[in-house]
Amino acid sequence: MIARAEARPWAETNWLGVGIVSAVMLLLPWGLTLVDGGNYFTHLIITFFVWGIVAQCWNLIMGVSGIYSFGQLALFQVGAFTTGVLSFSVGLSPWVSIWAAPVGAVLAALVIGLPTLRLRGIYVVLLTLAFHELLRNWVTTGPQWISAGGYGLARVPKLGFEHVLGPQYEKVFYYYTGLVFFALATYAIWRILNSPIGLAFTALRDSEDYAISRGVDPFRFKLFLFAFSAFFTGLAGGFSAHYNGSASTSLFDFGVMINLLVMIVLGGWGTFAGPIFGTAVLTFLTELLRAFDLYRILALGVAMAVIAVAAPEGLAPLCTRAFRSLFGVFFEAEYSPAPGPVEPDANADATPRDG
Amino acid sequence: MEIRDALDALLQALYSGVLSGSVYGLMAIGLTLIWGSLRMLNLAHGALYIAGAYIAYGVLSALGWPVLVTFALAVGGAAVIGLAIQLVLINPILDNPGRDSASLIATLAASIVVQSAILLLFGGQTKELPPLLEGGFKVGTTLISYQGLVVIGAAVVCLLLMTIFLRVSRRGLAIRAISQNMDAARLMGIPIAPTFVVVMVISAGLAGLAGVLLGSILFFTPSGGFTPMLMAMVVTIFGGLGSVPGTIWAAYIIGLMESFLAVFVGPSWALPGIFLFMIVMLVLRPNGLFGLGEVRRL
Repeated sequence: MIARAEARPWAETNWLGVGIVSAVMLLLPWGLTLVDGGNYFTHLIITFFVWGIVAQCWNLIMGVSGIYSFGQLALFQVGAFTTGVLSFSVGLSPWVSIWAAPVGAVLAALVIGLPTLRLRGIYVVLLTLAFHELLRNWVTTGPQWISAGGYGLARVPKLGFEHVLGPQYEKVFYYYTGLVFFALATYAIWRILNSPIGLAFTALRDSEDYAISRGVDPFRFKLFLFAFSAFFTGLAGGFSAHYNGSASTSLFDFGVMINLLVMIVLGGWGTFAGPIFGTAVLTFLTELLRAFDLYRILALGVAMAVIAVAAPEGLAPLCTRAFRSLFGVFFEAEYSPAPGPVEPDANADATPRDG
Repeated sequence: MEIRDALDALLQALYSGVLSGSVYGLMAIGLTLIWGSLRMLNLAHGALYIAGAYIAYGVLSALGWPVLVTFALAVGGAAVIGLAIQLVLINPILDNPGRDSASLIATLAASIVVQSAILLLFGGQTKELPPLLEGGFKVGTTLISYQGLVVIGAAVVCLLLMTIFLRVSRRGLAIRAISQNMDAARLMGIPIAPTFVVVMVISAGLAGLAGVLLGSILFFTPSGGFTPMLMAMVVTIFGGLGSVPGTIWAAYIIGLMESFLAVFVGPSWALPGIFLFMIVMLVLRPNGLFGLGEVRRL
């Protein structure tokens, strides 16, 4: 039905580019081990992978589909505690239990999504915030095998990479695992954004009534996207629990949630590259500005306010445009992932046909 | 004896229910006014509440002025912060197409800025305010403090004044007109942006008042505005978004429900019970208790 190449960007993959990026990403941790043992930088990049997945998933919910859900961090924690409890308290192998994390998160997402996603924005804000609070309460005050006295599980089994090539190369393997998860999530989200589902959300955003009258059922699409993003969020939570060796209740803090939200807003709300860009900026900036940690949250708040008022589309599109206008001569016009207003023709394409 | 115990528990639940209901009412009326007229969820409301408490604390500990003057200053201070938020953040994005998400982000950003500024200025330790009136009396085993009665009285007076203001004054009528139909109100020559400013200032002042009043009963921290805001959202939604009488009823119903759950079922059941109730209610009556649909608001 859709024959335009720009609607199926994966049909004309730039294999050279993919190859170069993969080669760099695969060799990077070994290069970093040459510098200072690589522990610190590799750790930063692994952190980037984890929060990059969560930020992309949350952006899918908040920015792309306009569900004002504040439950993404809670879903992350569902993943972390699911695998934490199964591997630490029950005693399963972490390689088995980590797959329970996304499943648990998807189930939790369905439980929240079924009653809330039919409702209007403000209800969703309230109910997802309530879910976050209830989960935090329950996990902190819950039974010993979950809360371990209120701080969370302090000794979640690690994935056992220290036995492969020795403890000094442990982080390299975490890097690869994180890279695989990050690449999977990013690719899946990219495909979703360029699929009929993504177009349906563009249609819903641009003209809800028209989209509905053409057969786009907002509830079904929203529920699907909610569960889909919960899957990768839970996976990131599970991976992070095993990587850090703990599932901490301090990750329920609103500072963490705000950090994530700033990643999305800063990078570009509702765009594909925005959250990745924002996560990268924030992860490395936080480390650079460790000394000013007290002022960090204040600065994040100010940055968020400035972007909301002055540049609502975020920094990633701005940077892309600045880059293009500076070096545009060297590039041909490319497919831009940030879609403009959709014409009725494109809407018709977005509508899934029955049967 | 058992009947006595039950009566004592009942009295305790009634007193604390009416007390928290009063504070929720002050918080929720601001949220509902903003929702009704600006069609915007103000996520900075909890920050304004806690800002009121901290301004009072700061003035009191630095200058040592009389408590009543301090409290008035705190309400004014919260209103000024609200005014700044409205002028700097909300007015510029009022006509943007993506107003919903932009205002959500802007108000959340404002709440982050206010809260982290408070944290930098005052530190993270718990603080408390002195009461307007010391002392209290005992009924059965329930200790009723004069401050509690002051809070209840102040809240009831403010809520009544708000209702009268909305029904009688020109500004109040303008707010109601805008909340019923913004386009028609604009065509009738009602100034939209100035009215929004009035709404924001009133709602911020009420949030600050709630913070000051409750700050002398409970301890507070810089992030302490979150739970009251969540409860105010519950109240706002329960009362039917944008309906002032509904919000006032809902505030007391939710306050009483919370305290009855806490006294008779267990303190840890109060919040989960209310949220479960909310979910059931939203499924059964999505427009709230006094949901007026789109026709009549405020």
